Amino acid sequence: MTRWKYKLMPLFFIGPAVLLLMVFSFAPIFLSLGISFTDLTLIGLADWSKINFIGIENFVKLFKDKVFLESIFNTFFYVLIGVPLAVSSSLVIALLLSMVGKWLSSTFRLIFYMPSVTNIVAIAVVWGFLYNQQYGLFNYLLSLINIQSIPWLEDPLVAKFSLIILAIWKSNGVSMLIFLAALQSIPKVYYEAADIDGANRWQKFFKITLPSMSFATFFVTVTTVIGWLQFFEEPFVMTDGGPLNGTNSMALYIYQRGFEYNDFGYAAAASFVLFIIVIVATIVQFRFRKKDQTL
Amino acid sequence: MKNKVALFIGLIAVVLLLMAGCSSGDDENTIKVWTMNNSMEDFVTKYEEENDVSVEVQVIPWGEVKDKFLTAIASGEGPDVVQVGTTGVPEYADAGMFMDLSDYISEYENFNPDNFYEGAIGTTEYEGETIGVPFHVDTRVLFYRTDILADVGYPEGPKNWDEMVDASRQLAERGDDQYAIDLPRDDPQYPFMLAWQHGWNYNEDEGASNFEDPKFLEAMSKYETFYQEGLSQLEEGKELVQAFSDGSKPMFFSGPWDIKTIIDGAPEIEDQWDVRVMPEQDTNRSMIGGSHFGVFHNSEKVEQSLDFINWLADADTQLEWYKDVNELPANLEAWEDPILADDPKFSVFGEQLESTEVLPMITEYTEMSEELLNYMEEVYRGGADLESTLEDYRTKVTDILSE
Repeated sequence: MTRWKYKLMPLFFIGPAVLLLMVFSFAPIFLSLGISFTDLTLIGLADWSKINFIGIENFVKLFKDKVFLESIFNTFFYVLIGVPLAVSSSLVIALLLSMVGKWLSSTFRLIFYMPSVTNIVAIAVVWGFLYNQQYGLFNYLLSLINIQSIPWLEDPLVAKFSLIILAIWKSNGVSMLIFLAALQSIPKVYYEAADIDGANRWQKFFKITLPSMSFATFFVTVTTVIGWLQFFEEPFVMTDGGPLNGTNSMALYIYQRGFEYNDFGYAAAASFVLFIIVIVATIVQFRFRKKDQTL
Repeated sequence: MKNKVALFIGLIAVVLLLMAGCSSGDDENTIKVWTMNNSMEDFVTKYEEENDVSVEVQVIPWGEVKDKFLTAIASGEGPDVVQVGTTGVPEYADAGMFMDLSDYISEYENFNPDNFYEGAIGTTEYEGETIGVPFHVDTRVLFYRTDILADVGYPEGPKNWDEMVDASRQLAERGDDQYAIDLPRDDPQYPFMLAWQHGWNYNEDEGASNFEDPKFLEAMSKYETFYQEGLSQLEEGKELVQAFSDGSKPMFFSGPWDIKTIIDGAPEIEDQWDVRVMPEQDTNRSMIGGSHFGVFHNSEKVEQSLDFINWLADADTQLEWYKDVNELPANLEAWEDPILADDPKFSVFGEQLESTEVLPMITEYTEMSEELLNYMEEVYRGGADLESTLEDYRTKVTDILSE
């Protein structure tokens, strides 16, 4: 083996992945940045001579666009409320699963993981029935304990919560698995040592379990935040952004502008705004992570 | 090791063969057709046998039409013959997807515009070009429960919007969870139909000022009334067939496909429902929908494509198609057949098709109509004032049209 072979070997291995990223991620990103400064519509797609460069006009219009601003607000609402709930609930589920016996654990692991691999359209149909005003199961259960029916998908604010509940139920499976794996990789020795020192259950949890899982928690949080910033499927299949734009998210708005109204330039500009927000949110989290680097 | 290499080479060979297989069918006697209905594949065999042509049918689900068409327009790689829904005509025609058929109309007997419903022809014309030939048509009529409407004094169903409102108020008073009608909240054609029936019409040259017409205001205030007074349910309630069957929503507007839906889904009310033409206020105009077949702009097999479309446009072909999938023929001659003319329910659609209005044939229509739904929602759900909301809507339309 000569030296240059050693140098080239790693490149050879990561090459395919980098190539795929280049073609299917980086190239479209730069392309859409370019498109966002033009007035590309359906006609421009067929005849490139009809595309005009219009500078930052799209971006100026975006920040005057009431519906876009509403969708930004909704997206942040989803993230601020949904992410903590999603991360903590999957952590709690993972902890509970690690406490019960093997048979119970594997059964429930399957049950909690199911929603993540179920087709979103099927989920929409079932949850549509659950949330239905007339014969929805949720309102029926509430009526049994004499609580008035809740307008699950009929009120802009309530509908946001309804979608958050659905999204948490749907995304818990994946995060739960990551937490479970992290839990199982904590060396038993720590707990034995703690037992000898006379630590109680809470102390063990806060001093050993949580710190040992900090990397898994970080990973789950970052991916969850990114996922929730791109909140799309749930409003798309359940409410189409309604009522009164109350559940419209940035990703859905981009879709509507781009693929329903053929306003590609404008949609590209909006997607770039979303892209910047995702990048910033991720960088911020990495900074925080650096500060409390203990592992 | 050797085996593995052989296996690998074998695999590659198979993949290459498959790829080669996909790109076949480029011979003289093959035309490629894009359609949205999977019955088409078997349907064209008759034509293939008669003409010794092979028709390669590719079925595109309605939900994916847009993506597929966009890709075809952008890449210039399309079929020879393409089916297009009427509402998509302005957008795709504007992007130059279709070949102009104007010069061929006199060449083929079945292309004669007089053969078809006027409204259907209206949707094949875009900026002076003819983009296709009508294949099937579609419109909306009123479905109603004869017995329940008789109880409130309208055994024949409401004839105009005044009767409609009167009947609806009586029906809604029957108690909790009882409504009069199920108005589609997310059908963008619906407010337009209501406005046409009140004598309004969209004039392309006038742009946003079209919506200043007092007739339009009157129509929209009717629209608001139905939700405000609880005549139509605001929430996602009972599934339609069930609500129609138990009488809680004894009326709705819909298209021909729902005849079968009700027959299959609610056999228990077999003789207790009927369809009638739209309520007439100033006119009783309904929308005209459906689909056309056109030629993709850069097809190299124009002759064969036109011949195929000529066959599709024929009255007998369209009648066969109706028997197959219950889509209504655009060809007037087909309607003279007893199977349509004597059918008590489908003949109503034939009657309604005589009185239709073409939706504005402009590329901005999609956005304009969707926005109207959003603005109207502000009124009936958000409690905004109707007149000032319509004013905002006009500003929005001006903005949309100026882009």
